[in-house]
Amino acid sequence: MKHKKKHLDFELNLIPFIDLLSTCICFLLITAVWMQVGSLNVKQAVGGQPASETEKKPTAWIYMEKDGSVTFDVKDSPALRADLRKSTVPAKAGKLDLELVNKLAADLRTVDPGLRTALIQPKPETSYEDIIDLMDTVKKAGLGDLGVVPL
Amino acid sequence: MGSAIGAQSVLNPTGKKWKRSLFADLLLTALIDAFSILVIFLLMNFSSTGEILFINKGVELPKASQADMLERNTVVRYDEGKFFIENKEMVNQDAMIQELLDTRKEWSSTHPNEEFKGILTIQADKKTKYENLNSIVLAMAHAGYGEIRFAVVTK
Repeated sequence: MKHKKKHLDFELNLIPFIDLLSTCICFLLITAVWMQVGSLNVKQAVGGQPASETEKKPTAWIYMEKDGSVTFDVKDSPALRADLRKSTVPAKAGKLDLELVNKLAADLRTVDPGLRTALIQPKPETSYEDIIDLMDTVKKAGLGDLGVVPL
Repeated sequence: MGSAIGAQSVLNPTGKKWKRSLFADLLLTALIDAFSILVIFLLMNFSSTGEILFINKGVELPKASQADMLERNTVVRYDEGKFFIENKEMVNQDAMIQELLDTRKEWSSTHPNEEFKGILTIQADKKTKYENLNSIVLAMAHAGYGEIRFAVVTK
């Protein structure tokens, strides 16, 4: 009796697979978000707790001036010398000098590693972009607990 | 005598006539490879955070590198001199406080055993002055919201 030879090669139907991939690509391209939106987490600096109940932590008050300069005033930090507690970063071509701000914040953190809180006090004319740039720079330097002070 | 090259000539073949097949073989492997790479790339970039914010044309969010993932919270939007809470226009600061209080009350009724977190997302153009955002900060302080999420574009 003659045995029929069984084919070892079989054909895979690729058309449904290509259909599925095409549909996937169309859906993903349509729903794709090219702009990654995130959020900068900030606390409201005006507290609901009375001052006597609040735990005194080293805090850097950052005052943003109209001309682009920034003044750091560190409070409740026994590790910092009195002359280092207040320092001003002058503006660079009418804008914030973020490099210098970052350096100053990092230096303050080196002297007092417990310094983690920064409260930002902008001026009414300060743009939202400048506030975010400052917060981002300060956060990068290690001051993670940020607060914004209302006018 | 016909050479091997002469037999292959298209213009004047000297050899045996060669029948051209009408069925063209399409190489699908490369196509499937390209499709798979595209699908993987698009899946990796897939993000659902874009649905949280409705950004109008002409509004540019500031950029930040230390940004966290955007979460679903009450969104307050400042756009062309007007304030919006979840796309509802607010006429003044008092209306904003009232709306925030209502939102808080609604949240407390739907989540009876949970503590109110008081988180608010602020969305505004990067050129907005702080005096305009200040109204939102004051309103949220009045309504008992303590945490702000500034909407930014991740650098």
